[in-house]
Amino acid sequence: MKLFRSLVGFCVLSVSMIACGSGDDTADTPSTEAPSTDAPATDAPSTDAPTEGVLNVPADYATIQEAVDAAAEGDLILIAPGTYNEAVQVTTDNIVIRGLDRNAVIMDGNFELDNGFRVVGASGVAIENMTAMNYTKNGFFWTGSNSYRGSYLTAWRNGDYGIYAFDSVGGLLEHSYAAGSPDAGFYIGQCFPCDAVIRNVIAEHNGLGYSGTNAGGNLIIVNSVFRNNRAGIVPNSGSYELCYPQRKTTIVGNLVYSNNQPDTPAIDVAILAMGNGILSAGGVQNIIERNRVWDHDKTGIGLVPFLEEDANDAIPSKDAWGTDCATQKQQMPVIPDGPLLWDSQDTEVRGNVLEDNRRADIAVGSAGSNLWELGNCFEGNTFTTSAPLELETLAPCGSPLSETAGDWLAGDLAVITWLVDAETAPPSVDWKIASLPELPQLENMPEAATAPAAPASATPPTVDLAAITVPDKVS
Amino acid sequence: MTPIRRASRALLVGSVLVVLASACAPDSSNLAGDGHDHSSMPVDPARVMGAPDRPIAGPQGAVGQFVVECPFSHALPDDPIVYPGEPGASHMHVFFGNTGADADSTLESLLEDGTTCEQALDTASYWAPALYHDDVMLVPEKSVAYYRAGLDVDPTEVVAFPAGLSMIAGDPAATEPQPTSVVAWSCGSGAARDETPPSCPSGRGLRLDVTFPDCWDGEHLDVAGHREHMRYSTTGQCPSSHPVHVPQLIFSVAYSFSGDPTGLKLASGGVLTGHADFVNSWDQDKLEDEVKYCLQRDVVCGVTSGRVSG
Repeated sequence: MKLFRSLVGFCVLSVSMIACGSGDDTADTPSTEAPSTDAPATDAPSTDAPTEGVLNVPADYATIQEAVDAAAEGDLILIAPGTYNEAVQVTTDNIVIRGLDRNAVIMDGNFELDNGFRVVGASGVAIENMTAMNYTKNGFFWTGSNSYRGSYLTAWRNGDYGIYAFDSVGGLLEHSYAAGSPDAGFYIGQCFPCDAVIRNVIAEHNGLGYSGTNAGGNLIIVNSVFRNNRAGIVPNSGSYELCYPQRKTTIVGNLVYSNNQPDTPAIDVAILAMGNGILSAGGVQNIIERNRVWDHDKTGIGLVPFLEEDANDAIPSKDAWGTDCATQKQQMPVIPDGPLLWDSQDTEVRGNVLEDNRRADIAVGSAGSNLWELGNCFEGNTFTTSAPLELETLAPCGSPLSETAGDWLAGDLAVITWLVDAETAPPSVDWKIASLPELPQLENMPEAATAPAAPASATPPTVDLAAITVPDKVS
Repeated sequence: MTPIRRASRALLVGSVLVVLASACAPDSSNLAGDGHDHSSMPVDPARVMGAPDRPIAGPQGAVGQFVVECPFSHALPDDPIVYPGEPGASHMHVFFGNTGADADSTLESLLEDGTTCEQALDTASYWAPALYHDDVMLVPEKSVAYYRAGLDVDPTEVVAFPAGLSMIAGDPAATEPQPTSVVAWSCGSGAARDETPPSCPSGRGLRLDVTFPDCWDGEHLDVAGHREHMRYSTTGQCPSSHPVHVPQLIFSVAYSFSGDPTGLKLASGGVLTGHADFVNSWDQDKLEDEVKYCLQRDVVCGVTSGRVSG
């Protein structure tokens, strides 16, 4: 608020123009200020001839926003080390915004600014090699994009999500790190098909490591680490946003451990999901393979229902699961009479290695539905405990499930008791002050100063899933 | 705030408003342009302004929007729009967003006040009549302000509210049910819209949802009676008398109250008198950015899910 107040006099004057509808738009936005950096003054002549299509901050432009506003498609914005108190809006397609040093180009929201970067309805925007912290909403946020990429990003202590793509398709999030958000460190939401890849990321000390409400369809999460969150990887369905149910997310080759962290900021869903490694909450047709999952108070891999009290639409029937997001947006919702129960269905859990998940290594639960009618299967996992007992015998992959395959009730997950557990779970800690690991020094993008600009592609990289093996345990 | 400080603020803003006045603003230094003239309040203000074509409910994410959540700030028997300069003259109101809003507020004072909103640049003031249960005032949890283009409105036509715009939606004197497209009650973040408070299940608190008009006359920040400068769009169009498309503000007040609604009443009267007030004292540049980036581009800049964050 300090900056804002110092500008009040100015604002009132500009306000008087606006009130009269002059439409004058010449006033600079006060939501940004010059970076507090020791870099040369912005009006100092640059000794190097500018490179075509490269906009340097602060050498050529005092603020990132000015550079973004000046950029044309295909341009590269290079940001010098320094702290930038900006909330940058991006509306230009196909630009690349890159920090020269991931650990020294710091976007700092000072607990007042909302998003470090918000890409609104622009496609092809890639953001690379920098850190965003202390934003009241998100570190890095794409919405309404038809292609997006985030590489070598660090999001630390932000009030909603760390790295976030909503209502966007054609994405790649890679080599990135997110900590300290009450919702998810990484979140892709409201898309089908999403055509997106998350690879080589680390999420820790968030409410949720990954959340993907109503997101799926060629959505792949691989070779990443989810640790010390309240809960690890938690895709879910719900009619509070569009494109339900959550469908077809592929989760392969991840290290998921110790997601019982009691001192994180946490939304209510994170508290409810606490102590689970990979938890499908009402998702369907997901594939969970070859992950290593250990040290959880509840389940290593759990498939459970999502109870939605404040429903806005009916649950689509199974024959509508192929409807794409754009089509569903045009359909009129039907307000249901009561709460919805989104069952996890038709999900395959294969070849994972699990240990020390105290309620069960692998589990499937419901709140009244017959488990054998949900179509979830478990095969080839290395585990000790399951709920119900003998889960791999009851629910093998590749053949229809049968009520008579065994005792489906023995060792029932009793997932409904989680609602009670949530009442006594450690409460959320204010994201502004929650204890976090120190801001880590993380790998820089190779050749950041010289690598050519590569705008985001609508086609994410092909991931050779078959080549991924269960990752080794780390200490 | 001391009266002296208030006075100096009033002078300051007064001098600014003089500039405004010559061009477009009423000759007044308080928020309401009408001084103390309450007698001209229309008998049926909702009829003056019209109503949206239908209630807006359903999943978020289909149309461009931005959303601001603001915890409860304070309760006062003040109304900065209807009873400016008259502390205690109004029925009890619950205020959200701006932390200093009271009978003596001016645009200038509001711009200097803090906010309860998670969006630190939303220093606008939002208020509604206090809700009582068996004569005990219920302290609301928070408000949620949804900003969207009106139903079927071309979003590229929508511009920000002018600074200082003051408006009221809903009828504090209603004796009959109001259209649920203007004033409705609901539970939690559910989509049902009722004319009177429903019996909400435990854990899904009662909400009052008020939808503001989205067409402005382009001239007046407020008028006598506080209604004539605003209209609701119909079939996506604003009337020629009120040609300026502004955001449609849907303002929800969330209570933790659930169960039997018998015994509920609003400070303005019975449960049929739902209404809400808004003064645009946003950081104007930020508001204009949000309208430009989120509404005009028809992009979802944020959603709420009824989830509780720490």
